[in-house]
Amino acid sequence: MNPDSFENLRLELRRGCLVLAVLAALRREQYGYTLRKTLAEHGLEIDEGTLYPLLRRLESQGLLASEWREEDKRKKRFYLLSAGGAEVLDQLLAEWRGIDSSIHQVLKEQDHGTD
Amino acid sequence: MELIERYLQAVGFWLPRQQKHDIIAELSADIHAQIEEREAGLGRKLTEAEVETVLKQRGHPLLVANRFLPQEHLIGPGLFPVYRFVLKIVALCYLIPWLLVWGGLMTFSPVYRAQQTSSSWFAAIASMWGSFFGTAFVVVGVLTIAFAVLERMQNRLHFFDRWNPSKLPPVRKPNLIPRGSSSVELAVNLLFIVWWAAYLHSPLVRIGSTVEISLNPQWIWFFWSYLLLALANAAFAAANLMHPFWTPSRAAFRLLSDALGAALFCWLLKATILAGIAIPNVASDKAAAITHAVNYWMATLFPAGIVVGLVLVAINVYRIVRLQSETEPVSA
Repeated sequence: MNPDSFENLRLELRRGCLVLAVLAALRREQYGYTLRKTLAEHGLEIDEGTLYPLLRRLESQGLLASEWREEDKRKKRFYLLSAGGAEVLDQLLAEWRGIDSSIHQVLKEQDHGTD
Repeated sequence: MELIERYLQAVGFWLPRQQKHDIIAELSADIHAQIEEREAGLGRKLTEAEVETVLKQRGHPLLVANRFLPQEHLIGPGLFPVYRFVLKIVALCYLIPWLLVWGGLMTFSPVYRAQQTSSSWFAAIASMWGSFFGTAFVVVGVLTIAFAVLERMQNRLHFFDRWNPSKLPPVRKPNLIPRGSSSVELAVNLLFIVWWAAYLHSPLVRIGSTVEISLNPQWIWFFWSYLLLALANAAFAAANLMHPFWTPSRAAFRLLSDALGAALFCWLLKATILAGIAIPNVASDKAAAITHAVNYWMATLFPAGIVVGLVLVAINVYRIVRLQSETEPVSA
């Protein structure tokens, strides 16, 4: 298989998951750089060109709240999950678990079929 | 550091005024945080080359800015295949024939060639290219604007949502020869044979009891050739009525008959076939002028005849290639 095809499919699969990861990570207030590091530490590398536009989009949808504050002599923008965002996160997590369970069932049925 | 400021300025250039300050401030904080962390790890300041590497990893300023901008398009993915299809049709039915006619005129019409190359061949090609490019530019431009307008209308009117499966075209059967067209072809060929044999069997043709048209002695060749061709085409149409499907041998026959018909027609155009015309109350010098004019215009139409012939041959060759590819087994 063409390695580019796998990479494209992998990115497509991760794209939706990243929204979930960002919302989940922002249950605790963070600014962009530390959020990126937190996600990377958990195996979810995200480049700044993807993260910052995503944060702005989620904020414009009312899922995040942000404020500029000074920390270590530098102004930084801190993000936190809003009340609406928390509700959406719960719904998305339920959806995520549903998808996960469905895929497991499909795989299980096919495994039984090939036995 | 100046390099970072220059990078941020380059990104900011592409950002909308209302969001520019906010985005640049956040991007600046991110870059500085990354650099400070690297410096803390190394225990020294980053060199300019190292800062340059950090910025290069972040991507070209235009691409970075682009991520913050809304996705925009002139013609969206829904209409784009239609746009490409229409462009292909225009190229096939207008631009390529335009080039073929120009090539035909330059090759077979000495008068046109002399007019075009009066100064030089280079000037003739430059003039043709200018004219062709201008035409293509206007056609493609008008189509692009029309599709961009359609795209905007689609966003508002949602005409892709209003469709009915029962109004979709019937399933195409490219190898079917419609019996209707075979019947028409048979009838036309039979009528042609009767008319041709009744009125054009001799080089002296009478229209009514007064007008007499004399044809070149070569006419006898054209007469028999067209008669045989029409008989063959009538037999072919009758066979198609019985078994209305294209096969490679039928397609080859059609290619042969069309190529022969086109070649005969081109020969006829160049053959100075009209020898004279006698019309009551028309002076002989005037009749000679009419004869000359008819022969002249037939000869002038020769390049157009060549183009029509080439198009017919191309269509037939395409049909044969299509049929051949359908009969070849699909490789694993």
